[in-house]
Amino acid sequence: MSDNVKLTIDGKEVQVSEGTYIIDAAEAAGIHIPNLCYLKGMKAVGACRLCLVEVEGGKGPVIACNAKVKDGMVVSTNTERIQEARRFVIDLIVSMHPLDCMTCTKAGVCALQKYAYDLEVAESSFTRKQFGYEPDTANSFIKRDPEYCILCSKCVRVCKEQGTNVLEFMGRGVGAKVITADDKPLQESGCTFCGSCVDACPVNALLDADRWRKGREWEYENVKSACLLCGNGCDITVGTKDGKIQKISAGQAEGSAEKYICAYGRFGFDCIEAETRLTAPMKKVSGKLKETTWADALGIVAENLKKAGKDAGFISVAGIQNEDALALKALAKIVKTKNYDTTMSLYADAETLVNSQAADIDSADLIILAGLAPSQWERVLPQLDATVRRRAARGAKLVVINSSEARISEAATINLIGDEAASLKAVLKAAIGKGLKADKKLADAVKDATVTEEAEQAGEMFAGAASPVIFASPSLFDAAANLSLAKGSAVAVPAESNAKGVALMGLTTGGTTYKEMASGALKALYAVGEVPLSKRPKVDFLVVQNSHLTELAGQADVVLPSATFLESAGTMIDYLGRLKYLPKAIEPQGEAKAHKDIFIQLAKAMGGTIKKPTEAEVKKAAKVKAKTSLKPFEAKKGFDVSPGEIIESVNASVISGSRLIMLKEMAAATAGK
Amino acid sequence: MAKETSIRVCMGPGGIASGGEEVLRAFGRELKKSNVKAALKKGCSMHHVGCMGLCARDVLVEVVLNGKTYTYQYVTPDMVSTIVSKHVVGGKPIKEWLVDDSYVNFIKKQTKVVLSDCGRINPESLDAYIAVGGYEATRSVLKSKTPEDTIEIIKESGLRGRGGAGFPTGRKWEFCRAVESDRKYIICNADEGDPGAFMDRALLEGNPHAVLEGMIIGAYAIGADSGYVYIRAEYPLAVERLRLALKHAKKKKLLGRNILGSGFNFDIKIKLGAGAFVCGESTALMYSIEGKRGMPRITPPRSTEAGLWGKPTVLNNVETLANIPYIIRNGANWFASFGKGKSKGTKVFALTGKIKNSGLIEVPMGISLRKIVYDIGGGIEEDKKLKAVQTGGPSGGCIPASMIDINVDYESLAKVGSIVGSGGMIVLDEDDCMVNVAKYFLQFTQSESCGKCVPCRVGTKRLLEIMERITSGRGKTSDLALLEKLGNDVKSASLCGLGQAAPNPILSTIKYFREEYEVHIAGRCPSKVCKELLTYSIIEELCKGCCACLRACSSGAITGEKKKPHRIDQSLCVKCGACFEVCKFKSVDRE
Ligand SMILES: Cc1cc2nc3c(=O)[nH]c(=O)nc-3n(C[C@H](O)[C@H](O)[C@H](O)COP(=O)(O)O)c2cc1C
Ligand code: SF4
Ligand code: SF4
Ligand code: SF4
Repeated sequence: MSDNVKLTIDGKEVQVSEGTYIIDAAEAAGIHIPNLCYLKGMKAVGACRLCLVEVEGGKGPVIACNAKVKDGMVVSTNTERIQEARRFVIDLIVSMHPLDCMTCTKAGVCALQKYAYDLEVAESSFTRKQFGYEPDTANSFIKRDPEYCILCSKCVRVCKEQGTNVLEFMGRGVGAKVITADDKPLQESGCTFCGSCVDACPVNALLDADRWRKGREWEYENVKSACLLCGNGCDITVGTKDGKIQKISAGQAEGSAEKYICAYGRFGFDCIEAETRLTAPMKKVSGKLKETTWADALGIVAENLKKAGKDAGFISVAGIQNEDALALKALAKIVKTKNYDTTMSLYADAETLVNSQAADIDSADLIILAGLAPSQWERVLPQLDATVRRRAARGAKLVVINSSEARISEAATINLIGDEAASLKAVLKAAIGKGLKADKKLADAVKDATVTEEAEQAGEMFAGAASPVIFASPSLFDAAANLSLAKGSAVAVPAESNAKGVALMGLTTGGTTYKEMASGALKALYAVGEVPLSKRPKVDFLVVQNSHLTELAGQADVVLPSATFLESAGTMIDYLGRLKYLPKAIEPQGEAKAHKDIFIQLAKAMGGTIKKPTEAEVKKAAKVKAKTSLKPFEAKKGFDVSPGEIIESVNASVISGSRLIMLKEMAAATAGK
Repeated sequence: MAKETSIRVCMGPGGIASGGEEVLRAFGRELKKSNVKAALKKGCSMHHVGCMGLCARDVLVEVVLNGKTYTYQYVTPDMVSTIVSKHVVGGKPIKEWLVDDSYVNFIKKQTKVVLSDCGRINPESLDAYIAVGGYEATRSVLKSKTPEDTIEIIKESGLRGRGGAGFPTGRKWEFCRAVESDRKYIICNADEGDPGAFMDRALLEGNPHAVLEGMIIGAYAIGADSGYVYIRAEYPLAVERLRLALKHAKKKKLLGRNILGSGFNFDIKIKLGAGAFVCGESTALMYSIEGKRGMPRITPPRSTEAGLWGKPTVLNNVETLANIPYIIRNGANWFASFGKGKSKGTKVFALTGKIKNSGLIEVPMGISLRKIVYDIGGGIEEDKKLKAVQTGGPSGGCIPASMIDINVDYESLAKVGSIVGSGGMIVLDEDDCMVNVAKYFLQFTQSESCGKCVPCRVGTKRLLEIMERITSGRGKTSDLALLEKLGNDVKSASLCGLGQAAPNPILSTIKYFREEYEVHIAGRCPSKVCKELLTYSIIEELCKGCCACLRACSSGAITGEKKKPHRIDQSLCVKCGACFEVCKFKSVDRE
């Protein structure tokens, strides 16, 4: 939309598109209108009454979150009268607030504190009251303290919109309260501990459970990064203090209604200091792993790799950074082997991920899920689940195509259950029948499809949609991409964060495959990351390079301690094709090193050189143009490992080495009930 | 027809409360007796009817004999056999049981439009409604009027919403009509949440078909094919009568598909409300129907654009809708001939408080308050002094006795800081404490606030605290200014009508009875209502030393020997008033 409306806000000329709310128009002009309940992107509720502004010629103040801009409008956001009205509201809220800013962890980032400061409300002019509510501290993730709650309902709304629906309002008047169903503790209320509510809460009513006396937020250094724990590769903000990670939150802009990361991404960082964390290289000495120096360990590895030569092989997870992938490839060249492959090959072929298209999910009016069963509850591509539900809640249509009913089906406008490739074909045929333009080749390809009533409806939606997006499991991508030949875009969703990056970097085997290597086809095997392998294959020499001591590492000849993704700077490419930067948030523990640095040093030990991969190299490698051409409506064979399995196993150490283990215990407890 | 003998027993809210069912049963038994049957050759029909109006005199019974109507008041079951034998059979009315002139005035000075059939016809009979012209309006609209014509008539009539806000009904319909949509809804607001109000209940119990007919016509006008009656579950009889009326109407093809062969489809469902005051607010009501928590939302969009399930919706009050068939039948001009200025037609009020003829009344808009209080209401109970009239319930204000000649219409009442509202009218006399009245209403709104927006959620609580302070002797001189500021802030900043109107009772009492507040702050309640402000003391000269008070005092504040004047220790007195009640010699002074 073009910026076709001109208005003046506090004397500043602003140009925005029609339909924009005053509050957003002001923000765009760098003018912040105070508010406590507005979530950008979500329908306003107008509960806090703070965002009042005056419009010239208007009857009285209006709330900026629900008033749209008009051409020629003259808005004043901070008149004496408005300030007085805001002071009144803050005064009232403060009269029901603990006001213990001295010891409150939220101090500094508390919206109430900020506005009270701005409006000079030091103490309420009314007698102050306490509610006397008990905090919910029964879980290790989120502390819920209704005593601080200002009833902005942000938590209720974000949780509802993303489909978890744990929180609700109860009671009337000052007795109104945010509760869970039957006022049970969070872990008994279907909460997934994603913490979206924590990110949304403007005060200290919802906070990370372990934050008390770990520093105020102004002491934190906050960096933007991405989470590499699953195929969603979510944006995150990492807060550090004293060289330690104190907090991870969703990375989208403050106040945005699109924030989401799951419990893994938010709370998994404790694993950095887990007992199983590797902090020094190790080598096997009479059947037992013993710590050694880097020089010693690298020497042993170099020697063995040299010896194995083309009979050496590398297997890696696909959750490594692009730079790691490039360095690994370079190392393999020095070793003179073409055997390098990743876990990506278990669920996708490189061609699929390379051809997977870019898409803007936030403007999609129709979303089709093919062969994907994302679930926030099982943490299988949870961000996709949340985003899709949120889009659906805001009016987008959702078609779920799956072989059996999945949890996401409950949010679908239409469910197509059965063979997914056949369903996609039927949808396209129906859409063409409803007037969708398609070339003859494409039309001919779907002629023989059987169209069910549901497929007919889905086809009609596809034909009528302005910007449909199809998310498919990698094996169904070709069938899905056929639809995109007519309209919209098709995206393959891998299970691991940087699968697309790894594919683009070309870390796919020219020799033996991952599966073959994992079953012991070679003399020397070099495993990078937490590969889903618990038994040592029959190899003469095994190196495990990982951040944690895994079962496999226990059986290795040499173990090299690697940095976690939070301790290493690099890039990744998410499933939507976005290149994301990961800064080094903290130094690696002990002597651990980034994967790429280990590869570089190893090359040196072997007498070769690898130059540190640069951003330019990554970008060049990523510049492959996605090609879409008509393919058979069939699922690709041999990629049947489920995303859930992969995500669970590549993160085994993260889960068992952090408070995330409680999730398992809680799940077991509820299952036992 | 005119010569038919019939008996009507009032079974309105008041009638039932006073034992109407027993009276009705007694008549049933009497009329079945063989000697009575033999005497009444042509037979006698018996009806239970909706509210007759003068609830203070219930149970009211009308005997129609030889074309003349006689009204008995305060009827109890034991009077029934006498009424039947002497009057119904014997033809001689029992004068001393009949209503007096004041009742005649009560009836005569009213103008009944929407209540004209209420209290006259059997509300459980569709035929009875049809016999008085019911559904003629539906027939004529469906047959010969376009929706636009229909809206035009309602606009011309000047009918405004009777649910409180007084929004022109025709315009509301027109807005909704203009919105393109595959579905539209019409909803009848029968939540009637104002404490003490029973106008809508009486209408639904007394003439449910008129409300349904209003809905059918409204639905046709705006293009809705389904409707809801949102009614509070605490009105079981109204719900039952409504259900019955729906059943009968469906059977007669007045509802459902192809109504009266016109091709117009419309059906109505009943949705029970849980009795939260805020659920009467239009957006909260619609959420409640959708099965969500009843919480108001911000507008725009208005309900006429995006209401129930996001579809264009018209919400009208019971009384508003019940007026519709009468307007269509008699014409817009006829309706507009009642009333004054921008307030046309009549309005039903629940006249209560310190008034002789308390009950349900219908008067033309613009009638003077004096006429309501003195002519229809018969004056103040025990002929005490009128102090004020509270209108509009918890959202309204007080009109002081000095303004008794004010015209009761939307504009005039708004000018003095009150509202017509949904029709609550409480008469207050010299014994009423205005501060306490205001506190009472605020207590109600404060506890009914939905809690969504800050000004109402916390502001009403703070207002109430100040009111409690004042009525318990802890008031400060600065409190009055604080009340006014806070009240105005809550009014202007609240999200919905509940919060926007909640301070009205306080603001209007401060406006007209400021002195009374000041006296309270000084530590006295002149009407002797606010318990904690009273001081009990014993007038030595009058005290006979009987010890009654000493025994009655549960906090041991009274000392004294027999036959000698007693004393009250103020530091121990909890102001329960037991001594005051028990003293036979009026020697306990209450100040
Ligand atoms: C807190 C609150 C409670 C209300 N309760 C009622 C009610 O019980 N009955 C009613 O008819 N209108 C009630 N209203 C008014 C309705 O919101 C609405 O204006 C009315 O039903 C519209 O119908 P009308 O135009 O026919 O009056 C209430 C309004 C508010 C703000
Ligand atoms: S943590 Fe997530 S699922 Fe749990 S209440 Fe908060 S938003 Fe809802
Ligand atoms: S817990 Fe936080 S986000 Fe939720 S309503 Fe209270 S203040 Fe708002
Ligand atoms: S004014 Fe009161 S009732 Fe209305 S939305 Fe606000 S809190 Fe709820």
